[in-house]
Amino acid sequence: MGMSPALSPRPNPPGSHGPVNAAKAKPLVHLLNHKTVPSPSLTSAATTPGGPDEGLAEEMNDVVKNQFVFGARLGEGTYATVYRGHYREEPSKLVAIKKMKKNTEWQDGINLDSLREMKYLAELHHPYVINLIAVFTTKDENINLVLEHLPRGELQDIWKDKDIAYGGADVKAWSNMICQGVWWLHENFVLHRDIKSNNILIAADNSLKLADFGLARSFANPEAEMTYNVITRFYRPPELFLGSSHYGGCVDMWSVGCVIAELAVRDWFLPSETDLAHLGVITEVFGVPTESDWPGISKLRFWKEQLENTPAKRPQPLSWWRGRMPLIGDAGIDLVRGLLTMNPVKRLTAKQALEHHYWTAAPKPQKKENLPRKGGKEAEKAMGESLKRVGETEDDKMTKIARKLDFGAMR
Amino acid sequence: MSRVARAPGASTKRAVEDGGASHLSHSLRSLSIQHQSPSKPARAAADSASEICPVCKSSRYLNPNMRFLVNPECYHKMCESCVDRIFSHGPAPCPIAGCKKTLRKARFRMQTFEDLKVEREVDIRRRVAKAMNKEEADFETLRDYNDYLEEVEEITWNLILKIDVEQTERRLRRWEEAQKAELNPNAVRRSVDNGPDISTLSETSHVILKKGGTQRRVQGASLGNTPIPEDDTGFSFRGLKKRKAPEPEKAFDPTGGWSVEPLYYSVKEEYDHKFFAVKHEPKFYAFGYKAPEYYSHALRDAFGGLGVFLEDDRANEVIDFGTQAAAVAAGGGRDVEMNDVF
Repeated sequence: MGMSPALSPRPNPPGSHGPVNAAKAKPLVHLLNHKTVPSPSLTSAATTPGGPDEGLAEEMNDVVKNQFVFGARLGEGTYATVYRGHYREEPSKLVAIKKMKKNTEWQDGINLDSLREMKYLAELHHPYVINLIAVFTTKDENINLVLEHLPRGELQDIWKDKDIAYGGADVKAWSNMICQGVWWLHENFVLHRDIKSNNILIAADNSLKLADFGLARSFANPEAEMTYNVITRFYRPPELFLGSSHYGGCVDMWSVGCVIAELAVRDWFLPSETDLAHLGVITEVFGVPTESDWPGISKLRFWKEQLENTPAKRPQPLSWWRGRMPLIGDAGIDLVRGLLTMNPVKRLTAKQALEHHYWTAAPKPQKKENLPRKGGKEAEKAMGESLKRVGETEDDKMTKIARKLDFGAMR
Repeated sequence: MSRVARAPGASTKRAVEDGGASHLSHSLRSLSIQHQSPSKPARAAADSASEICPVCKSSRYLNPNMRFLVNPECYHKMCESCVDRIFSHGPAPCPIAGCKKTLRKARFRMQTFEDLKVEREVDIRRRVAKAMNKEEADFETLRDYNDYLEEVEEITWNLILKIDVEQTERRLRRWEEAQKAELNPNAVRRSVDNGPDISTLSETSHVILKKGGTQRRVQGASLGNTPIPEDDTGFSFRGLKKRKAPEPEKAFDPTGGWSVEPLYYSVKEEYDHKFFAVKHEPKFYAFGYKAPEYYSHALRDAFGGLGVFLEDDRANEVIDFGTQAAAVAAGGGRDVEMNDVF
């Protein structure tokens, strides 16, 4: 599965999805480069107005579009509506189709969110990152992203649903999947910038998938300024509140730490009412950073108004962490504290997080198939019970019938 | 198997035991679950013999709460109070005349079937079935499986008809141990260290009185002097698949097996270039921006395309589409000309 960076990130790393799938998703991109490829519908292409190239593009769009069938509407957000869909050829293979809404502010051209999502998802293929299967337009104006179908909801549902019981091994397995996904993004120099537990979706095989790349961007050049107004408040690191416009993968790692802590305490980890109040919530736990533990902090844009006059505060001791997160043990607390380090330079990187001793400490991470999941446990249990009952009566019947030896069948 | 249940020798033995009637058919005819206290007076009168304890001669008529118990060692029936009286102080010989079996109180139980021969046969079948628990999937062919079932039936009958009991019991025990060893090698190694497993021995071997020193010595000698070869599993069946031990679980890999290592370059910690002169500014050491991330990003971008040969990729694709086109052409026959147009 290892990939060389010297090779451009290939859309199909071995094992991430089947060849059939890939072959189906390809035509749009590759047909555009291969006008020599014959297509049964090309005869009509010449007759469409707007020149041969435009007609060809339309035809190719139709080829992709016709592979999928829209199904029921699953949900609607500010920027997009999500439908269930499936392959026309194989109705059992489900997909999710994200139909981007036309934005009134961006009359001309493509919506920035969908552009970001397409740009990065088209290149990133990893078991723990949502897979973009194809892109097509409908009525020449709506962009539709065909994504893999993830039926088990968001990670947030898991800790919010008090009927689901989970333990340290489960948290470890989930945390590891998140860290692997984020590592892959950072290894390919993509910042997600909106990691939170409801942007992490659960696939049918219980693996977690990083989704919603609407705020993603690639790592910036040294001189380029980035906006500090990203990442949902609860998951936003302190340097963004202080107005840092030059950051790296560390901002995502703070969010990862928040998500893991959230799983461990089964509650919001750093809840706050407003953006202004959030830095206070952070310092309540991690203390007020000073020049000695965060060199250069006073150069940050909002340091003067936010922190300069705050009375000094000590970070919470280890006993506080042990009291709040008994689920993940000392090794897990060490990882979470490493990820939630105030100073972004000292914060664990994704690679360091994967090398942490938490993963090798007891207990072993839960196997994927045994991870608890929403609704599934109860439903499965009930289903299992009913199936078992049927099976028992069948067996009882069988024991009453004398075994028949069919010697004739052996020749 | 040395002898088959249906061999002439066996049938004569059966005749002697049963007075000519076929053992099994007789048993089946009288197969009925015994009630704890027969309610029908007619029936009570009919089995009046069975209502008297053969040991103390007390009858149900005088003691309506009397219960009869049997011990699977010899299946001799006696009342509960006799059992209490004789066996409360430890193992003792069976009080029925002519039976010298040593019995323990703990193994006395209510009989399930009225006919004690059926009771015994069911016990034996249960024990053999517990040891011989292979399924059809464990054999190469159906024929092998059927042969196996046939042999199991022979073993059962040999035990029921008391043919070669010693030999069969010993082989059955070896087989059970071998099965256990296959399932869990560690457990068997432990039990070998601690001497023979007590629980399996007490299940199958006869109880030996503490005071019967000679008997014990004989048994000990027979156990000690004839070391059983390690590979003796008691029985061997043709076509029995060897059980595959499950693969040991692999150690957890936190990276999931993914790794990224540059092929054509290596990233240095520091680059001395005027473009990076700004690295001493706070935004590089305080804002969270890491110059090394930028270095490797830039190098990746620079070398990213190396080793990827579009021509090769395209060649492959053309073949792909070519075959697709050929398939289409075979179906429609129209696209061949289209090829020439482009």
